[in-house]
Amino acid sequence: MAETAGRPDSELIAGQYAVEEGRRLLPVAGLPAFGVIDGQGGRTDLMAIQLSRQVPARPRAFQALTTPIEGLLTPVAYGPVGDACYAICVAPPGPAVQARARAWPEAELLDCVLRPAARVLEQLQARACTHRGIRPDNVFQSGPGEPVVLGTAWTAPPAMAQPALFEPPYSAMCLPVGRGDGSIADDVYSLGVLLLCLALGHVPLGQLDDAAISRRKLEVGTYAALTGDARLPPIIGDLVRGMLAEDPEHRPTPTLLLDPGTARSRRVAARPPRRAQRSIALAGGEAWDSRSLALAMASAPDQALNALRSGAVEQWLRRGLGDAQLAARVEELVRHRAQDGLPEDGNAEARLVMRTITLLDPLAPLCWRGTVLWPDGIGPMLAVAQDSDPEQMVRIEEVLVHEEVSNWAALRSDRCDFAVLRVEARQQHSWLQQRGQGSGVVRLCYLLNPLMPCASPLLRDRWVTRLAELLPALEAAAGRVDRRVISPVDAHVSAFISARLERRMDKEISDQLGAADADSAASLSQLRILAQLQSRLHLGPLRELAAWLAAQTGSVLATWRNRVRRAAIEAQLRVLTEAGYLAPMLLLLEDPASRGADAHEALQAGQEVARIDAELVHIAGGAEERATTASRVGQEIAAGTGLAALAISLALAALG
Amino acid sequence: MWLQGLLCGGMVTLATPTSLLIGVLLGPALLAIVFDRESGRARARCIALCSMAAAVAPLRVLWTSGHSMALAMALAGDLRIVATAWVAAAGGWLLAELMPIGVRTVLDAVSLARAAKLRSERVRLIEAWSAGESGGSEPPNGR
Repeated sequence: MAETAGRPDSELIAGQYAVEEGRRLLPVAGLPAFGVIDGQGGRTDLMAIQLSRQVPARPRAFQALTTPIEGLLTPVAYGPVGDACYAICVAPPGPAVQARARAWPEAELLDCVLRPAARVLEQLQARACTHRGIRPDNVFQSGPGEPVVLGTAWTAPPAMAQPALFEPPYSAMCLPVGRGDGSIADDVYSLGVLLLCLALGHVPLGQLDDAAISRRKLEVGTYAALTGDARLPPIIGDLVRGMLAEDPEHRPTPTLLLDPGTARSRRVAARPPRRAQRSIALAGGEAWDSRSLALAMASAPDQALNALRSGAVEQWLRRGLGDAQLAARVEELVRHRAQDGLPEDGNAEARLVMRTITLLDPLAPLCWRGTVLWPDGIGPMLAVAQDSDPEQMVRIEEVLVHEEVSNWAALRSDRCDFAVLRVEARQQHSWLQQRGQGSGVVRLCYLLNPLMPCASPLLRDRWVTRLAELLPALEAAAGRVDRRVISPVDAHVSAFISARLERRMDKEISDQLGAADADSAASLSQLRILAQLQSRLHLGPLRELAAWLAAQTGSVLATWRNRVRRAAIEAQLRVLTEAGYLAPMLLLLEDPASRGADAHEALQAGQEVARIDAELVHIAGGAEERATTASRVGQEIAAGTGLAALAISLALAALG
Repeated sequence: MWLQGLLCGGMVTLATPTSLLIGVLLGPALLAIVFDRESGRARARCIALCSMAAAVAPLRVLWTSGHSMALAMALAGDLRIVATAWVAAAGGWLLAELMPIGVRTVLDAVSLARAAKLRSERVRLIEAWSAGESGGSEPPNGR
């Protein structure tokens, strides 16, 4: 407690943990790691991993691992400190297993690696969570003969740091951020590769790159590709053979692995891929089976399209591979594409390639224009690509707009939950279609990545992942910006609010943001949103933010026509700004009774001005009329004067 | 026209002294009647009325002093009487010329005052009800 007593709460995570930025540890999955001081529990076995702004952490894992699992480095807490965010995790108890250069004996593999890891995977499966980070440098052992401990895999997208060797080929062929949460069977596969490496005493296929490793695994099967001529201990060999099955359904469950004897006896008769009599050349290589052809088509979609159009694929399937049924289905796809009447529709062509790949290999992920991903990896892919890879963004948006996940799932409905994927695809499409500030792909990115911080330039020195943190962060930012020019609710902030709000406010905010076209409407809508947030989140006074918003209300004040009333409202606004509560400011600016009276009186004033203008025009054009009148009246007066003189003369004459 | 000639002829025949005196004293008025071709002959009318006002007194003297030709000649030859009548005629002409100008000046002054008041009212309204600081649009050039 004493070591953190001097620190303000803003520098503590969960009010307890202080990050020792001066004590750097070995990076974890490429992310910086630091020492941690536990101010309350006094734990010394913790470390802090600094999260990346661009690469979102795994929300499901943080939710699922609130209670620790023995044999797993679980997260203890996470939270922002200044402009960075740290995940506090249990530190490794010893070196990684890759530190041991020699081959592990079979008994130690079973007792210290297989069973402890299977127990962890079993509990993860019970919590609907996966690990996706089982590899030699992320599995630790406190000492010889001790059970291994699985490292952390929560601070980056699932399997992002996994080498292709330790991932199933259908995951390795994806972009690292697009591999998705996957299933526990993928962890079983990684565990199988780990066992194999430890049993061999070295990492196989070290001379091949990731693409070559995936290709080789698909051509000959993972087990054969990794073992080659090497001999494994009999029990480990049998277990690993099952764990490395290409089809996830053929791999043993973690529960089964707890009893290696039973797991060993469970042999699933997985048919090897049918090898063709002759190969088909594509993407600079040769494919001898349908899985390899699917992989080649995924990596070279343009060449794949040409091969489909020319009929080469269909002929090879029919004559080379001898699968007339598959050839007929591919031929039907090509014929449908030719009949749809849109010869230059790039999306239809990409869809043809995607569907063909899915037909050739139902285990393959979604392949769209060279981008390979699992549907649950779309969120992290958006987060990483939105600022750095516009080309990738275009492809992901195409997948979302055309609901390609639904099309893909429809072709492999026996291997996925088609109904769920279709609903998700439609939901994502509808989110993407919403127009206005704070909608579209930015909002979708925040929706799919709940732990992603708000990327607004206004919050560059803050880490804001929750709505409650947003307004205080804007309050702090208010002192650094030109309040008249820069709006506190920019595209990122509005998208963040839309994404993080609970559903009952979602439509309301969307409507407000969608209607924000005029300056005054935009100023009023941002005040309305932030006022609602302040009220709903029960936040205290925000004087700087109130002053910022007040400085933005010039266009709103200008909508009051009466200068005196406007000045009075401005004066009232200054008073309310000093109080720091946004709702009264909104009430003052929106006051419908005052606005109605102002509009009515303005109408009357306008009519009066029009009447004056008309009279002035009449005066300006009345010179001739006045001259005529003056002539007539002047002559009448002159005549009258003469007549009066005559009358006087006559009277004088009559009187004598 | 012929009736006017007949009346004049009758008058000259039956009242020659009066006709002589009127002819001399109202000579400018008669000329104005002849030469004024404007509708209503306002100038001639004014000159005639003023001349007639000046001619009343000499005619009364003529009629009360025997209505003789000698007296008529004496009155017509009296420079003071003739000058008075002709100055009255000139005054009538001047009155007919100046009075429209005076009235026009008064009407213009009234219009200017009204336009100034309206412009002032307009500026006040614009200042009270405009959003900007320009004071609104330019008013029509009323004068």
